[in-house]
Amino acid sequence: MLSKDKYKIGVALIDQQHQELFRRVADFIATVRGQGDWEERLAKVKATLAFMQEYVVTHFADEEAYQASINYPGLAAHKQIHDSFKQEVEQYAEKFAATGFNEDLIQSFAGKLMAWLINHVAREDQRIGEFARQEVRSNERTIC
Amino acid sequence: MKEQYVDSFLKAVQDVFALMLDLRAEKTNEENVDKFVTTDGANVTIGIRGDLSGTVLFTFPEKMALEMVKIMAGMEIDKLDNFVVSALSEVANIISGNALSNLNGYNYSCDLDPPQVVDAGKAIPAGKEAVRLPLKTGIGEFALNIALEEDDKTGK
Repeated sequence: MLSKDKYKIGVALIDQQHQELFRRVADFIATVRGQGDWEERLAKVKATLAFMQEYVVTHFADEEAYQASINYPGLAAHKQIHDSFKQEVEQYAEKFAATGFNEDLIQSFAGKLMAWLINHVAREDQRIGEFARQEVRSNERTIC
Repeated sequence: MKEQYVDSFLKAVQDVFALMLDLRAEKTNEENVDKFVTTDGANVTIGIRGDLSGTVLFTFPEKMALEMVKIMAGMEIDKLDNFVVSALSEVANIISGNALSNLNGYNYSCDLDPPQVVDAGKAIPAGKEAVRLPLKTGIGEFALNIALEEDDKTGK
């Protein structure tokens, strides 16, 4: 299991999307590292890649909209991390197309994607949750 | 080598290992070296440029490399392939990025080059100021090798 409880940030929409992202990445890794002929696995690899390219964009946009809604002060820096990662995924996609979906290259992408995602959710995204909780506490004190 | 450099990397290793792997990492020794020697497992080097310049080399023995990726992926990993090496390259990249943030706290501004994988059984000249830190964890011991020198122009 790629996902862990400690990765939850306490915001339902974001946590659900993270769960979906982790589930898809785990499936992707299982397919990429699975047994059998590469050409036979390639159809599933391509479909998962296409889904993730789209889903990452949707998730990042939703997460940034949430950050804006709570006036999260780290939004600009967080968006920069998202943009840089999206760019990297695009560069990989171009390389995949240029190399005929080379197995070694896709294995490398899967390894990087996994480690990047764990660190990003466990470190950067946790800060959003902490800020949201602080804001709630601060508003509660104001009301009292 | 300045304690600030070593502490910045050591703290980064400990933070990232706790966060991503739920593991403690303890320094068991610190020795000055004139060359970096790679292991039979995954070896990742990253160049550093800016107020400080040099390289760091992470040497993960095979058994530990597989175990680290098993913890992250939550699945059995039995082969040191591109997936494993790439995942560990990214971990090394994340640690080095955190170390640079720590160094920034000492007013050193630096950038990283992309991680490069180095073959096993290599001895790489390390420059004047280089140390090797063996680090013990619950799944084995690996080494962090640091060669860092201050740019003369910074005057820090």
